[in-house]
Amino acid sequence: MLGSLHFPLANLERRAVEGSIDYEQVGLRVGLEVHQQLLTEQKMFCRCPAGLYTEHHDGIVLRHMRPTLSELGEYDGTALMEFKTKKNIVYLLHKSNVCTYEMDDTPPFIVNRRAIDIAIEHCLMLGCDVVDEVHIARKQYLDGSIPTGFQRTAIVGVNGRLPFRGRQLTVIQVSVEEDSCREVRDRGHLAVWRTDRLGMPLIETVTGPELRTPEEVEEAILLIGRVGRSTGHVRVGMGASRQDVNVSVRGGQRVEIKGVPQASRARQLVHSEALRQVELLRLRDELHRRGFQRPSDIDMEHIDITTLVTDFRLDSLRRENWERFVEAEEMRPGMELAEGPFSVRAIRLPGLAGTVGRASQPGRTFAHELAGRVRVIATLDQPPILLHSDDWPEYPQAGEELKEIRQAASCTPDDALVVVWGVESDTVTAAEEIQLRYADATEGVPHETRQALPDGCTDFERILPGPDRMYPDTDSPPRLVSRARVDRLRVDLPEPPWGRQA
Amino acid sequence: MTETNDPLKGYRGRARERLQALGVRVWSEVRILNEEGSSFEGVILPRSETSDDLHVVVKLATGYNVGLHIDRIREIQELGFKEAIYKIPEQEFPESPDLPKVTLLGTGGTIASRLDYRTGAVIPAFTPGELYGAVPELAELCNLTTRKIFGVFSENMGWEEYVTLARAVGDEIEAGVDGVVIGHGTDTMGHTAAVLSFMVQNSPVPIVLVGSQRSSDRPSSDAALNLIHAVRSAAYGDVAEVQICMFGPTSDQYGLLHRGTRCRKMHSSYRSTFRTVGDIPLCRVSATEFEPLTDEYLPRNSHRRVKIDPLYDDRVTILYYYPGMKPDIVDALVEQGYQGIIIAGTGLGHVNKPVFPALERAIEKGVHVVMTVQTLWGYAQMYVYDTGRDLLDIGIVPLDNMLPETALMKLGWVLGHTHDHDEVREMMRHSFSHEITEREPHNGYLILQGGLPETEEFVLSQWK
Ligand SMILES: [Zn+2]
Repeated sequence: MLGSLHFPLANLERRAVEGSIDYEQVGLRVGLEVHQQLLTEQKMFCRCPAGLYTEHHDGIVLRHMRPTLSELGEYDGTALMEFKTKKNIVYLLHKSNVCTYEMDDTPPFIVNRRAIDIAIEHCLMLGCDVVDEVHIARKQYLDGSIPTGFQRTAIVGVNGRLPFRGRQLTVIQVSVEEDSCREVRDRGHLAVWRTDRLGMPLIETVTGPELRTPEEVEEAILLIGRVGRSTGHVRVGMGASRQDVNVSVRGGQRVEIKGVPQASRARQLVHSEALRQVELLRLRDELHRRGFQRPSDIDMEHIDITTLVTDFRLDSLRRENWERFVEAEEMRPGMELAEGPFSVRAIRLPGLAGTVGRASQPGRTFAHELAGRVRVIATLDQPPILLHSDDWPEYPQAGEELKEIRQAASCTPDDALVVVWGVESDTVTAAEEIQLRYADATEGVPHETRQALPDGCTDFERILPGPDRMYPDTDSPPRLVSRARVDRLRVDLPEPPWGRQA
Repeated sequence: MTETNDPLKGYRGRARERLQALGVRVWSEVRILNEEGSSFEGVILPRSETSDDLHVVVKLATGYNVGLHIDRIREIQELGFKEAIYKIPEQEFPESPDLPKVTLLGTGGTIASRLDYRTGAVIPAFTPGELYGAVPELAELCNLTTRKIFGVFSENMGWEEYVTLARAVGDEIEAGVDGVVIGHGTDTMGHTAAVLSFMVQNSPVPIVLVGSQRSSDRPSSDAALNLIHAVRSAAYGDVAEVQICMFGPTSDQYGLLHRGTRCRKMHSSYRSTFRTVGDIPLCRVSATEFEPLTDEYLPRNSHRRVKIDPLYDDRVTILYYYPGMKPDIVDALVEQGYQGIIIAGTGLGHVNKPVFPALERAIEKGVHVVMTVQTLWGYAQMYVYDTGRDLLDIGIVPLDNMLPETALMKLGWVLGHTHDHDEVREMMRHSFSHEITEREPHNGYLILQGGLPETEEFVLSQWK
């Protein structure tokens, strides 16, 4: 919702970003992670009913997620900062569909055998090699979408092939995993999650990064969906199937667009992301031209300008406007709101004039990249989240007011200026985050997870963790998959969709 | 918890032979080709000793683990070898002259840890430097020293360990610390807290036991918050007794300080598992505040001299009474040389008639038999019914509202001092550390019954 706000395009960078790009020329590569809920009576690691959704709750739990130690055995500055600007995470419980397992107050029961069987069927449909022993792993998520802080997941099959447009699409792996919570609300420092869906079994089909155009992406999603449904053992309907789409262009980076609900939505999202990466690579080149070669070359200074802007005409920066927002959003101290005074902060970015307003996705600029980080990590979410000198709002006295702020922040004409507001400690986090985002920009495309917006664009969701976030689930013993069991399941397999077409 | 140098750790029988023949070992980076032509690239992991001897466990580059049947493996190619390093780089724990001194004694179990993602191993953090890396907030609270007393799982704690621990606590207090924290597995934390309440007397400073219900390697663990609460309580709290500091509700809200003799683990896995039974907790502790719930405790006083009294006789046991119990079980205990029997009786402290003669025989042979209630809440009031009166006549000592486990630890401690029936009786009935309380407040027994509309309304208004 907040991400769909539009910034006016920078005057100096009004490129024809809506237009087409040559996907082959930019080296577009897309892989899929297709998730389908399984039609089981019970959840994956407890005996709660699967598929029973509720819109009310009868219990609430408050948790926080603490990052576990990094590879170096210590928190670096960023991790500690992220922890200090931590989210209050609230889980809504209803007795009809969750037990103490989902609350993370009871260890898992033995994994649902039926779920493994369905996953094996799906593997066989895709020509996967089924593993001999299923090992449950934990995949860390710190956003609160799972109360443990990790998702229980296991590989069931690998090395499959899917006939696709006259070639073979690689199925890297099929895993079975527990579904996450449904988000109810995410404001400031508070995230609220509903737990009914949590723990339902789903299969994840991962393809190689072999799709070359948005059209292929849509078609492959539909095909994999049909394979799953052909056994009659996956759920259908709203939310039963979701996909993550991994997009990169040559020289770019794998970016995961998370939770794409329908295949038809994937096209525009892939296009926007391809464009975004191309533009971010151009920005990188521009930064290099200006002498910002490495992340450490990015400098930043910030000062509090609350007093300066008290009587400014610009509504966004006035305390009353912030207080109205806090009241309208019912933000409570200690929950949505951090402790501390209201502050307006001017951030000077030396030598970066003109880069904030550069194009990125269709209708967006680099300012959206900054705003995404500020919204998620500094938790400042009052629209328009930030203001910047490349596109200062137009109103009487705009020029004078911007000039005063620039003077206060000691900006030279070469410097970019960004202004944020909110609780003081959050504005400091925002300033640091903006510097970090620019530091990333010197290297091109950051490795991140992005959420899909209704208009076909994406917004920052979190930094994408690598395989480093996986470790064995010591609460669950490995499960044997005998060849006899695999053969038994093979007997009743339906004809694959491509078989019927032939 | 033992480290072995076995290059094929955990692999037995056929899997071991096969791996040996193929010339690979644990931590080998390998490419495995199976009979279907699938290729798996990753690291060979140690295998759990309880698993079968037919599979090889590989951690793939994606982070997932899979088990591969040795009969389906066609070839294994070793690409490299990199041993897992079970070590945490240390950071200097910052010293601040103005902050209180706290010592953390380790008994086993992990309070903090880090993950080795390459292998998935969980590596415990314990030294101040390691803990500073895991829970940096501690540096704002105190100057921390740590001492590893031993490394056993909580269920393997025993009398020898209790003595060592009591002496270690005494040493730290003599050395002038402002508080002692004991890291402990939660399963028998209540037993240790009870026995330390008797072995460590007259403490000038708080002695706080702490652990975690959710392992510290997970982002949602209660370990860090429990440790912060415990260290705060040791450094700044006013209760100079042995106490347990664990989550109040299951939500990340606050910890409760429970008196060592009146506390019990009440759920096998919940975070809020520890409850004060028959009384109310001592204090509520959060990241910033102490909220004392009672003023009946021994306050901190640096002039008090601690007394360590680590005597024991471990020939004690609990007999959990059940209908139809036969007398031979009592005779067997006597025959085996047990010197003390705690009965967890029904109701007000009862057992059935057929057991009476056996108990009588036991007492005649000098065995000390005491009565507690298996209801946990309430008093052994054996004078109320004839059954109880008969038991009193036999010479069974009623322990009022002492918890059965506390009674067990106490009787073992008392029998380290004397075997004289009257002296044992007097010591058992004397309340050293609130193990018997004269009054049970009505909020000392509070188990809300779920399902009732008024309970549900209340529960919904609170963090669980
Ligand atoms: Zn459940």
